[in-house]
Amino acid sequence: MKKLMNGMAGMGVDRRTVLKGGTAAAATAAFGGGFGMRPASAATSMRYMCWEGYDKESIIGPFEKANDAELSIDLITDSAGGFAKLAAGGYRDFDVVSSDSPWIARMGPAGICEYLDDEEFADAYASFYPQFRAPFAPLQFEGKATGLPTRWGWVGPTVNTKFDKLETWSSYDPCFDPAYKDKICVLDWGDWPIMPMALHAGINPYKELDDAELKEIRKVLRALFKNTRALVGDLSVAQKGLMDGSFRALIGGGTYCTSALRKDGNDHIMSIVPEPKDGLNQGIIWMEATGVLKGTDNPDLAKDLVRHMVSPEVSVDLAWTEATCNLVPSQDAEDLFSDEQKSVLQMDYMWEAWDKSQFHDIAPNVDEMLAIFQEELAAAN
Amino acid sequence: MADQRKSWRDRGLMLATLPVSALMLFFFLVPLGLTAALSFQSTKYYRVVWSWDTGTWIDVFTHGHYWSIMLQTITMALACVALCIIISLPVAYALVNRMRSVENHVKVLIVFAFLTDAVLKTFGWVLFLDRTGVMNGMLETIGFGPAATDILFNPGATLLGMVYNLLPYTIFTIYLSLARIDRDLVLAAYDAGASRLRTFWEVTLPLSRPGVIAGGVLVFVLSLGVFLESKVMGGGTSPMAAELIRQTFETRVNWPLGAALTLVVIAIGVLTLGGAGALFLHLNSRKGTA
Amino acid sequence: MNEKTPIIDARSIDKFYGGYQALKQVSLSVHAGEFVALVGPSGCGKTSLLKILAGFEDLSGGSLTIDGHDMVGVPSSARPTRMVFQKLALFPHRTVHQNIAFPLKLARRPKEEIDRRVGEMMELMHLRAAYATRYPAQLSGGEQQRVALARSMVSQPSVLLLDEPLSALDVKLKKSLQAEIKRLHRTVGTSFVHVTHDLEEAMMLADRICVMRAGRILQTGAPSDIYFRPVNGFVAGFIGETNLLPTRIERPAGGLRFEAPGLSCAEPVLGTDQAAEGLEAGEAALMIRPEMIVLSKNAADDGECVMEGRVEEFFIKGASIQYRVNVPGVEAAVVAEVPGTSQPPADVGDNVRLSFARADLFVLHRD
Repeated sequence: MKKLMNGMAGMGVDRRTVLKGGTAAAATAAFGGGFGMRPASAATSMRYMCWEGYDKESIIGPFEKANDAELSIDLITDSAGGFAKLAAGGYRDFDVVSSDSPWIARMGPAGICEYLDDEEFADAYASFYPQFRAPFAPLQFEGKATGLPTRWGWVGPTVNTKFDKLETWSSYDPCFDPAYKDKICVLDWGDWPIMPMALHAGINPYKELDDAELKEIRKVLRALFKNTRALVGDLSVAQKGLMDGSFRALIGGGTYCTSALRKDGNDHIMSIVPEPKDGLNQGIIWMEATGVLKGTDNPDLAKDLVRHMVSPEVSVDLAWTEATCNLVPSQDAEDLFSDEQKSVLQMDYMWEAWDKSQFHDIAPNVDEMLAIFQEELAAAN
Repeated sequence: MADQRKSWRDRGLMLATLPVSALMLFFFLVPLGLTAALSFQSTKYYRVVWSWDTGTWIDVFTHGHYWSIMLQTITMALACVALCIIISLPVAYALVNRMRSVENHVKVLIVFAFLTDAVLKTFGWVLFLDRTGVMNGMLETIGFGPAATDILFNPGATLLGMVYNLLPYTIFTIYLSLARIDRDLVLAAYDAGASRLRTFWEVTLPLSRPGVIAGGVLVFVLSLGVFLESKVMGGGTSPMAAELIRQTFETRVNWPLGAALTLVVIAIGVLTLGGAGALFLHLNSRKGTA
Repeated sequence: MNEKTPIIDARSIDKFYGGYQALKQVSLSVHAGEFVALVGPSGCGKTSLLKILAGFEDLSGGSLTIDGHDMVGVPSSARPTRMVFQKLALFPHRTVHQNIAFPLKLARRPKEEIDRRVGEMMELMHLRAAYATRYPAQLSGGEQQRVALARSMVSQPSVLLLDEPLSALDVKLKKSLQAEIKRLHRTVGTSFVHVTHDLEEAMMLADRICVMRAGRILQTGAPSDIYFRPVNGFVAGFIGETNLLPTRIERPAGGLRFEAPGLSCAEPVLGTDQAAEGLEAGEAALMIRPEMIVLSKNAADDGECVMEGRVEEFFIKGASIQYRVNVPGVEAAVVAEVPGTSQPPADVGDNVRLSFARADLFVLHRD
């Protein structure tokens, strides 16, 4: 999720890339290099573009075996880059894509992805929580769906309850409280820290913004940087600071930051969603989705892979990866999680978070906001 | 000293280097040309639009923050160069003159440190320097208050990381030029009545200048590309040029702007190299050797 | 400085490098204004001795005084010596003027004095004034030698140490610089200690020669002593070729009687001064320099001592002709050097007679 448009910025994720082959490899990955290809020897071969996690052997292996297919995986490091690559004609080389839902949603209208008939996936939708059942608006365009949701979570302050009460973070106010000076960690993940700050300023960043609103966003970011101890791209640095109390909250993250810590038994680390402010929900729901690319040679098998990805057993596996743990839309999967896993995923809180959140989308003014973020950062020191 | 002159008029030599030169030209100039071309495009919804205008450059030259980041980068790079040279000189001198018996061991250690992944080393520093890190732990046990040092996540920490990661370049270039100094020259200075310090100042230091210049240029150019240290140790709040470019390419997906900023950094690097080269030629021409 | 007190007085110097002993009980004294050459094959210890004199190396045992001061522990910068290095060690980053002026600058002499003395030295060394602003790399090899000499002489040291500075030069340049060094020595009157492996160079330049081998001094003496009265075969053989005939000697009171196979002398008796010091009766070597031998084909030619043999080979060397003659009873061919002529006095295979004066014989230790 967070990987949305953060590419190498999410060094927690991409540190591996860096470690493996240095910047060159990372750059190649960022520019959409096609490694990870395996020679096709099975009856059918398909190419699958996805985030890390979807490529787990325990997920891909059974599918390949059952269908005598061979999947070659292309890992993406940023959603926009992946979209750009597919849009530039790359969609012809791929069969299936898993990326962030706003981008998947755009692929249908852009003619990159096939629309999927809700009827064909009725069984899958039936296994979902009611909130994700067809017609699922975030992935719909003129009544037609592009892809099915596969993973989700929420964005809000990540807090160590050993140091702060959760109530303290029922709003983003502490970010600007002098008492929290030099104690805030902002995650360097593209627009992720910007959106909550805009919401805090009373602006919905997902609509077209005017100059006055952009000015407000500039103000709130400037104020945030006054209290910011570090802008961190690496998840492990952020998590370490949170654990030892040198960061009192992580801004711009959310469930994506907490799950690994909670998995290790640190259930005093939590991500919450602030209370709605002036009728504006302060939380953000992020989602990943999986779609079938236009012109695939194996439409049926590609759809089977989508079904495979949202099936309860695979959903549990997908929710539980080495780097992070995330929620899945499959209601049927819920019974397959252990109580401990449910606690790690903060399942008891998920619908409260859902109700107090916006859906993440590609903001029309995202580039202006990113430019403002850069500018204010340069001016902050 | 006289064996260094290779003639540009030597046809055989030119011919022999032709394939490599052509390869270098192709793989360097063509991407550079593409980068330049890219900087004259614009972007819409994360996709490059081939508009052939100067909007990106106007953006670059009208936004102060790009230049304040460039200035910050150059300042940091210069500070890094100065520190690297100041630290490397005594280290290299000791390697050549005082540690003959363990010289190779020390060199191997430096090479190991050099080859260790910069990411690992940099994260190691975070663990060491953090408020709750090893250093503060030690300082606290010997009676300093908690968090006696708070040097992580500021430009000073960035500089520390840069110097640490780039130091081997200056150590080795200076070491090589010190090792090449004829021992007799030092003895001749002693013989003429110079103290050790005076000899270092009058003979060793001037003759190590090629290494100092080479190391300084290397470190400067590499400093321009530093992003890990500012991001991890510097806390990301005072980004340097490379981080700005990365953000522009990856986070903003604004390739034309990223290309333009890249060209700015390349221009700074080229000007520095050119300046250093001219200085070097000037110094050498005075000696009558090329 | 009193002529009697030596400028350099080195006594029983030992030098160890780890377990290797480079100098063994070496004693050397050099008087004011004297030109001493240290000669020997490489590894003989001559350079080690020079470095000890210069202060670049500590001595392991013995004592060293220079100019009446104990030099043990005194760094080279505080010694009244100057060194001319084998590879000259001119500072490449300094001009000729700056190179020569360096010792004066270190001694904080006033600028006018420095300029004047540098000018004088350049003139003395026949260096053109225009060279003052040039860098060493812009000069020829010979000119660089002169700069090196000028730099080491400019502060008027008591002793000049020369570490084979001419070894890398071609023969012609070497000869001219040898003359230059000799002239310089005569002009300035400083003591010179000159290390060389070339005994001929040593003989041309030095007042006294010190022949070294394997860390020891074998013989110290005037060039003619070294040449005509070598202490043993090694010294004798170190310069040019010489004939060493195995001999047995007896030493009756006030005389010396010898007997050598293949050699017949009317009266096989020599003066006591014709034997190396400390020579006892018994096995020894009888030396006759090739150029002392007269070679003839007719038996009538007589000398005090005579050998007869057959010409094995001869070489026309220009100024002289060298004959190698097989003499029955003598293992090595006897070498005779006769004045050059267009008509060689004998041909290969001719029977010849080698004769010489008894006074030209010298008896030395057999190695």
